[in-house]
Amino acid sequence: MASEEKAPRPLGDLERLVMEQLWAAPSALTVREVHDQLSGTRELAYTTVMTVLDRLAKKKLTERERDGKAWRYRAAAPREELAADLMRDALDRAGDRREALVRFVGQVSDEEAALLREALSRLEDQEPTG
Amino acid sequence: MITPVLLAVLALVLTGPAPALLARADWPYRVPRAAVILWQAIALAAVLAALGAGIALSYSIAGRPGEPRFDPSSPRDLVAAAILALVASVVVRLLWAEGKVAIRTRARRKRHRDLVDVLATPDGLIPGLRVLAEETPLAYCLPALRGARVVVSVGALDRLDDSELKAVLAHEQAHLRARHDLVLEEFTALHHAFPRWVRSDVALEQARTLVELLADDDARRRTGPRPLARALVALAGAPAPEAALAAAKSATVLRVQRLAGPPANERTLSTVTYAGAAALLVVPTITIAAPIVKAIVDAVS
Repeated sequence: MASEEKAPRPLGDLERLVMEQLWAAPSALTVREVHDQLSGTRELAYTTVMTVLDRLAKKKLTERERDGKAWRYRAAAPREELAADLMRDALDRAGDRREALVRFVGQVSDEEAALLREALSRLEDQEPTG
Repeated sequence: MITPVLLAVLALVLTGPAPALLARADWPYRVPRAAVILWQAIALAAVLAALGAGIALSYSIAGRPGEPRFDPSSPRDLVAAAILALVASVVVRLLWAEGKVAIRTRARRKRHRDLVDVLATPDGLIPGLRVLAEETPLAYCLPALRGARVVVSVGALDRLDDSELKAVLAHEQAHLRARHDLVLEEFTALHHAFPRWVRSDVALEQARTLVELLADDDARRRTGPRPLARALVALAGAPAPEAALAAAKSATVLRVQRLAGPPANERTLSTVTYAGAAALLVVPTITIAAPIVKAIVDAVS
């Protein structure tokens, strides 16, 4: 799995950093502004920042508007809103959407919680078998 | 005329009573791998039998033996052709549903992954791990051909110790390695392909439970039963408000109870299950193929 990770990783990491800049900014930022802020902490080509912002726009995570000769980018939605979307998606197992994610564990009723604890204590009482 | 009737009966049995009975049984949980195959065989055999019933019916209505040409002036031939067209439309509907589910699932998963990538921070513990700053305890995987992700929330990390986290990650990686999502996708597609009044949730629900058991077995081999059982109990969500959930024992309870028992080694049971799955597929296939082969032989001789 390690090899699968290599190719998309560096840009993916940058996407998160760039989004954080956009979320923190009071208004839309130009590529230059994003680049200036990020290059304080790491060496980064201007074109890389441009690519990342373009990718984010394609993913509908940023919106851009024309400002003279430059594009200004803003986050398509506040961080909290996207986080809420994500959580809704992750927790939703109802109806037609059930196929996309499988969670490690689902919800249980009170009775089931008791059954769970009982089964676990039975397991804990057993001799360790490794 | 006997073949189409037999196949139709087989199709009905395989869509209604057989899944209902199998879902109520406990033994499939002892052999989850074989049981998944059996469920797939049942689903496939049901489709084959239904299609086969149509084809066989059409064949037995149409013209006289040894005269394979279609005659538009014969009402019998027209009925036969209409039945064949119906069969073809069912096949198209199945393929359409399969494609639609595949596209929709991938689109939704991609959006989810885009969100995870900007909202969650990577963690080097295992490749593809992302930590989400949310209090709700959550752990799941986002399968993909390349760059699959495992997502764990801070709420989950708070509730798990090191060995429990390892067990959870082993479970998720087992899902990703075995591409359990593809197995579930087939059942989802099949579920969507049938009209509301014949389909049921049983096969999809069972497949979902069985792949959890498979991933549990894998994690258990790596980390032992205890950390996994503890993690399941620690992360089992707050009691669910929906009354429907309390009706049947949930997969979580089943999984912990199963971990409390000795690891299953059911060679005979799994062999029998595999054999049953194979037999299920052979019966409709042979019955469909037999008249066609016979027709070809008749036409040639």
